[in-house]
Amino acid sequence: MPGSSSKSGGRGPSSSPLPHAVVPSSRPLRPSRYVPVSAAAFFLVGSTTLFFCFTCPWLSERFSVAVPIYNGIIFLFVLANFCMATFMDPGIFPRAEEDEDKEDDFRAPLYKTVEIRGIQVRMKWCSTCRFYRPPRCSHCSVCDNCVEDFDHHCPWVNNCIGRRNYRYFFLFLLSLTAHIMAVFGFGLLFILYHRQNIDRLHAIVTLAVMCVAGLFFIPVAGLTGFHIVLVARGRTTNEQVTGKFRGGVNPFTSGCWKNVSHVLCSSQAPRYLGRKKCAQSVSLQPPFLRPQLTEAQLAAKILDNGIQGDLHRSKSSLEMMESQSCDAEPPPPPKPELRYPGITRGNTEECSLLNKAPPTPTMYKYRPTYSPGKNHTALTHAYANQLSRGESVGSARDSSSSTSSLLQASQQPGFRSQPSLDRRETSSERVGGGGGGERREVGREGGGGGGGIPGYSLGGRSYPSFSDPTVLSGVASRSSSSTHTSAGTVHISEATTASASFKSLANQTPPPHHPSRNGSLSYDSLLAGGDEFDKGVGVSSAAPDVSGGRPCTPAAGGGYSSPFLSSQQREAEMQSQSSQSPHHHHRSSHHHHPFLHHSSSSTSSSPPPPPERERLLGEPHLPVAPAGQTSSAPPPSHHHHHHHHHHHSHHHHHHSSSSSSTSRPPRFAAPHAAPHHAYPYRTRSTDTPLGSSSTTHPPRSPHPPPLGKSLSYSSAAAAEMQYRLVRKASASAGANAAGVGGGGGGGGGMGGGGIQVPKDELMQMKSLSRINGGQPFSSTSTSSCSAPSSPSHPVNASAPPRVACPSPALMRSPAHKPQGSGVKKVTGVGGTTYEISV
Amino acid sequence: MAETHSLQDMRQQTAITAKVFIQRDYSSGTMCQFQTKFPSELENRIDKQQFEETVRALNNMYAEAEKLGSQSYIEGCLACLTAYTVFLCMETHYEKVLKKIAKYIQEQNDKIYAPRGLLLTDPIERGLRVVEITIFEDRSLTR
Repeated sequence: MPGSSSKSGGRGPSSSPLPHAVVPSSRPLRPSRYVPVSAAAFFLVGSTTLFFCFTCPWLSERFSVAVPIYNGIIFLFVLANFCMATFMDPGIFPRAEEDEDKEDDFRAPLYKTVEIRGIQVRMKWCSTCRFYRPPRCSHCSVCDNCVEDFDHHCPWVNNCIGRRNYRYFFLFLLSLTAHIMAVFGFGLLFILYHRQNIDRLHAIVTLAVMCVAGLFFIPVAGLTGFHIVLVARGRTTNEQVTGKFRGGVNPFTSGCWKNVSHVLCSSQAPRYLGRKKCAQSVSLQPPFLRPQLTEAQLAAKILDNGIQGDLHRSKSSLEMMESQSCDAEPPPPPKPELRYPGITRGNTEECSLLNKAPPTPTMYKYRPTYSPGKNHTALTHAYANQLSRGESVGSARDSSSSTSSLLQASQQPGFRSQPSLDRRETSSERVGGGGGGERREVGREGGGGGGGIPGYSLGGRSYPSFSDPTVLSGVASRSSSSTHTSAGTVHISEATTASASFKSLANQTPPPHHPSRNGSLSYDSLLAGGDEFDKGVGVSSAAPDVSGGRPCTPAAGGGYSSPFLSSQQREAEMQSQSSQSPHHHHRSSHHHHPFLHHSSSSTSSSPPPPPERERLLGEPHLPVAPAGQTSSAPPPSHHHHHHHHHHHSHHHHHHSSSSSSTSRPPRFAAPHAAPHHAYPYRTRSTDTPLGSSSTTHPPRSPHPPPLGKSLSYSSAAAAEMQYRLVRKASASAGANAAGVGGGGGGGGGMGGGGIQVPKDELMQMKSLSRINGGQPFSSTSTSSCSAPSSPSHPVNASAPPRVACPSPALMRSPAHKPQGSGVKKVTGVGGTTYEISV
Repeated sequence: MAETHSLQDMRQQTAITAKVFIQRDYSSGTMCQFQTKFPSELENRIDKQQFEETVRALNNMYAEAEKLGSQSYIEGCLACLTAYTVFLCMETHYEKVLKKIAKYIQEQNDKIYAPRGLLLTDPIERGLRVVEITIFEDRSLTR
């Protein structure tokens, strides 16, 4: 049935290789959902049949045969529209593929503003579907899908009403009103002519049908009138009940006539789900044409032995970064792809594209973490640049992407030279040979689970609940990359839960083999991750910093609900920075250290907080990158071995401090810091609160994320604060929004919203529809209407063409405003309120 | 050798470096339009003009699909009269234009984007939210 497929289609991507495949819904069968639609169908068909059988014969004889024909046509129309409204896909958006949200930093704001005909409209990040909801799109909680031009969820047809089937729903209402009027009218005519023998069966049945018709007429007619007004105004039920345009202008209206013709006369909108994918056969044969092809570049690439090529690539990426800075706004951090244009991420893409899109669970998203083994030199340059620009989020993202690409690169045997060999040796020493090889195979599954680098996934910064070191160490080491990835993902998701306001939280895509969407998944992945995860934890913690926001994205895989928790955690952590950080690092298993050490040393160029790693690893023999080292060239790890000892004690809270300052020079984490030693690792970071937040960000991460981590953490902290503000506003506005929704429904004499039991009064239908429509998005509308993120986000989101831009704003805002600073509410156009922190 | 491989086969040989997403342009409402802004990732892969031309062509085609013209009106009336059974046999106007768009994208890929190591993905596969451009790595140059 199209209807059932449409209901479950939105969840297709979660468990099938093709994002648009329709898979059976994993939801438990809820018979209560079918009660209103069954009752509606029963009354409709039953009453009309009785009318045709008992009333119409006499009418056709007495008056004209046109009477039953007319009624028959109208009834057919009612049925057709009812079926279309019930079974037609309302315009469900397929879940976004994993690669799509990589473009947005995990700390990207919850809202993105676009200007529609001069009016600012906010697009909210949908954590389930993993994209910014297009204007007028809303996520239906009943169907668990984002629906285009969402009107409401109608229990009487048991379907969402959206762009594709609004016309049929509207016509259904019109035709049903006409039908009820006709049935009632002709029944009345019958009764009037049969007053004498009213006790005949025909008269009794006609009376019964008239009663039913009369009973349903008032709510149906009311709802029809309501929708006629909506169509004329160019609004959806959702917008009407949430009062979006109460005080302002509706940017979606084009005049009454155009609105009506758009609803009734526009071509049927296409289905997004369940389309058959035409396999494109395209010949992609390198070398590729380039617009300004330089022979020198080509020659260099052909001749290089891998290292030079990488350097060249990184340099060119840096050049690109430079050119980007010519843009008006502050140079956004280079996109990961840009940073390493030549670096292959083929495995990742392949895995992500060819395999099913990762399940939608918002809790888990594996973000590729910084790969210390590969091209750390190049990374250093890039990260140093980024740091100097003070761009945390973007750089984080880039670094993570570059990390992943590096990881990919290092995975290819012989593709890279020295660094990867070192890394591989190291890992094999520490981890055990088997895992290393497999880890190398790891593609970008699960969002680039750090390539083959064990435990690279940001898992290192996962949340306390998940990063139990005993669990981690206890897990049987499984060299499957997927497990590793998933483990990393779990951690990452935990870590990112803290940044509630960021879509990265909702953004997380668990590794492909993680179908579930709840916290338990993390445990499974933890168990599965085993050694990989453990090892990766250390490394990944180093990596995240490098990539700034990036690593945190996977870590921030926490679902949409977890942010609340994480934000609280982060707050607490921020306050008890020093005391907590050691605890967090405790979790990291000891065997992370050796690996971390190497990775950190290799990535010494990036400013990962070595102190964190030191603290966590607590293995003095591990080579330690000199703390506070800002040079981009990472010296061989083993050379710095002795240095770490000295810096050991000072680097305890390095991660926290490092994270806070975006301009922090790269640090080398001393990987073997004893986990339970609290080192006064205060580093250059000047922004303690941010640092603490970042510190707490991966409460359990055994290793301070390299380079990017500080940046990412500061962004995370900023996001955290913003999110808290948003939440506070939401909480306060929640009552208002609920009131709005309730008020709208109340007008119809409504009962409880969402009550599936059909009531006699069809008024219920109206109110229920409204409430149901309102309720699924009441929470979102609440937040959207009354608790927008700080203005810096919308401003930055809309102004710069790149999504990365909000991150600088994000970075700036926390620095500028103290925690819990005053917030001024400003009502914007269209009834949306903005909170401006003063 | 310039053989035609399926996309998946090609992935074995060419690695995907990055993906660029061209977002929707909502400045004129919810009409399906894509931003013509040239993304920086493609700076050294394709001409700006070429890219903008492609996106503009796509935008025009989508505008044509959503046009409230006589064809869509007649289609709606016919559907009403036949109790929507006409949808079982006839293709809607929008679907026809979508087919045209798919052909156009395929042609653009073959002629312009694939030789440059890029690949356009039909936005309908993403719910008409983004145009996905996959950037492939120049493996041959790195070996």
